[in-house]
Amino acid sequence: METLKKLFAKVLDIDENDINDSSSPDSIASWDSFNGLMLVSELEKNFNVRFNINEVMSVKNFKDVKWILKKHNVTEGIDG
Amino acid sequence: MELSEYIIRSKKLVKDSSMKDVRIAFLSNFTITGIAEIMKSLCFEYGIYAECYTSLYNQYAQDILNKSSELYNFKPDVIFILLDIENLFGDNYYFYYRMNVQQRNDFIQENFDEIKGLIRILEENTNAKIIVNNLLVPNYSSRGIIENKQEFGIKKGVCHFNDMLELLSINNSKLFIFDMNSFCSRIGYEFVYDQKMSYLGDMKISPSGLVKLSSKYMGYIIPLMSITKKCIVLDLDNTLWGGIVGEEGIENIKLGPEKEGKPFMDFQKRLLELFERGVILAINSKNNYEDAIEVIKNHKYMILKEHHFASMKINWQDKITNIKEIAKELDIGLDSLVFIDDDKTNREFVREFLPEVLVLDIPEDHCFYPSIIENLVVFNLFNITDDDLNRGRMYADQNKREQFKVEITDVESFLKQLKIKVNIIKVGKMTIPRVAQLTQKTNQFNLTTKRYQEENIQNFLESGDYVIKCINVNDRFGDYGITGVIIVRKHDDEGYWNIDTFLLSCRILGKNIEFSLMQNLIDDAKKAGIKKIHGKFVSTKKNKPAENFLEECGFILNKDENEERDYILNVGNEKRNNSYVEVL
Repeated sequence: METLKKLFAKVLDIDENDINDSSSPDSIASWDSFNGLMLVSELEKNFNVRFNINEVMSVKNFKDVKWILKKHNVTEGIDG
Repeated sequence: MELSEYIIRSKKLVKDSSMKDVRIAFLSNFTITGIAEIMKSLCFEYGIYAECYTSLYNQYAQDILNKSSELYNFKPDVIFILLDIENLFGDNYYFYYRMNVQQRNDFIQENFDEIKGLIRILEENTNAKIIVNNLLVPNYSSRGIIENKQEFGIKKGVCHFNDMLELLSINNSKLFIFDMNSFCSRIGYEFVYDQKMSYLGDMKISPSGLVKLSSKYMGYIIPLMSITKKCIVLDLDNTLWGGIVGEEGIENIKLGPEKEGKPFMDFQKRLLELFERGVILAINSKNNYEDAIEVIKNHKYMILKEHHFASMKINWQDKITNIKEIAKELDIGLDSLVFIDDDKTNREFVREFLPEVLVLDIPEDHCFYPSIIENLVVFNLFNITDDDLNRGRMYADQNKREQFKVEITDVESFLKQLKIKVNIIKVGKMTIPRVAQLTQKTNQFNLTTKRYQEENIQNFLESGDYVIKCINVNDRFGDYGITGVIIVRKHDDEGYWNIDTFLLSCRILGKNIEFSLMQNLIDDAKKAGIKKIHGKFVSTKKNKPAENFLEECGFILNKDENEERDYILNVGNEKRNNSYVEVL
């Protein structure tokens, strides 16, 4: 299992250190709609969860992703 | 590997000068972003550098209809067409039964005609192979348990569409239908189709589904690039049977119709089926020869017999040496071999030292052994010729010839006693597939190494400007099949002919057959009143055996530039060579 930040960095092809809570499609150029879909797919696999479509649509920034994962009882690999 | 990893990797691929190029286009009516990057990465693993083009979202028809579209500018070698049934049928996908039976028939037919028309336009305007996914047969019907009692119900309608598509591809060397339905039934519809991805981004195939689909698509790239594998090299213990015969004995190894013996039997059946299709089998095993051969000869449930193996290396040599010897014995390249061994160390060892050999990953659980073969795409051909079907037997015949060679000492009497008969035939409809295949596969005795598809040969024949002949060879031990090709461009107005292609399969080298074929060409030229024959030797890494051939026939070197040598023969000055061959 990879940490959330590592996975984000991998899918968006950016440096882990460039990601913070306020990171969003507006601040990260590679976070386009297609990479958004890939994030969904790979987060689900990595953390063994299934998001519903409303959860996906509600994400505005990195912090929202952490919050949704916590809602799905994911505790490890999110912070840091 | 996940889709995102393929995408990142594809950006880092650097083309190497030894790589072959391929241009792949993808046309679809839904989002297939990512497929190009996956294919690029997969091709790279086979030494192929792929350039890809993906049509804009749902613009496949515009791309096809507009002759100056980016699709045509891209000049693809292969085009994959992926159509989603819901996007294609629109509301009729949901309200199919609002239509009466006649309307349903018309609707399916109209949709098919439209696709058929688009395929025809593509065929007319490109030389690419066209691969069309068939439509996924819906797994839901409002008619429920009586869906299949409906007259021309939705499932029947889609099956009918798919049948018509398949019919269109038969006898069409450019068009191939990828069976999405059997693909989905193998890996699972719910794995391929993810509703959330579909609603969020019109991704009708999930990211993981795209990865699996691309690995199946490689089945088309491999024959297109003429890199179809030829031979499977097999380990014995825990590969063809369970257990170690040297330790457990023939009576205790696992091989038979029940429980843990059955996967090995089924695995052997899958291998035998490939053998009967022309794949060569060989053994590479660390074992006492006597122990192993006893199983092969006498075990009741052994499916593969001694005569199925073109080479058996059962000894205590290292596996690398054995593989090299097998390739040499069979006169095929290391890059034609697939290696199957349950031992991970052996596999890593071969990967490391013989990177040309394709080493398969083997599942821990023997139950999955048959699927090793079922998942392979590297033995694909666009056309299975009679020669392919007979190859296994031909290699067995070759074993007999080798034994005969040992008995007779000098080459001349050996060749005489082989009683070689060569039949030189004008190429026609029946022989075109094999002739094209030989141009793609022959590396050693090949003057120019020009690769042709069936359509090219067809065009040559239709133009009337070419003499194209092939040879069928047999000797006292059996038939070699069609094993040589000559393509000559006639320039009758200028009084000369030019040898475009002259090749012989390695199976019949060393028998002076090439001289008979050349003599036949010279005779033809004489009859046509031609005074000069031009020839060319284009040097490659592999065609050294053909290097001096033209000189040996009396051709005079005219120009020597880099890798190319131009020769001219003044007809009448040819050298006669003993060929020990009877020309029919």
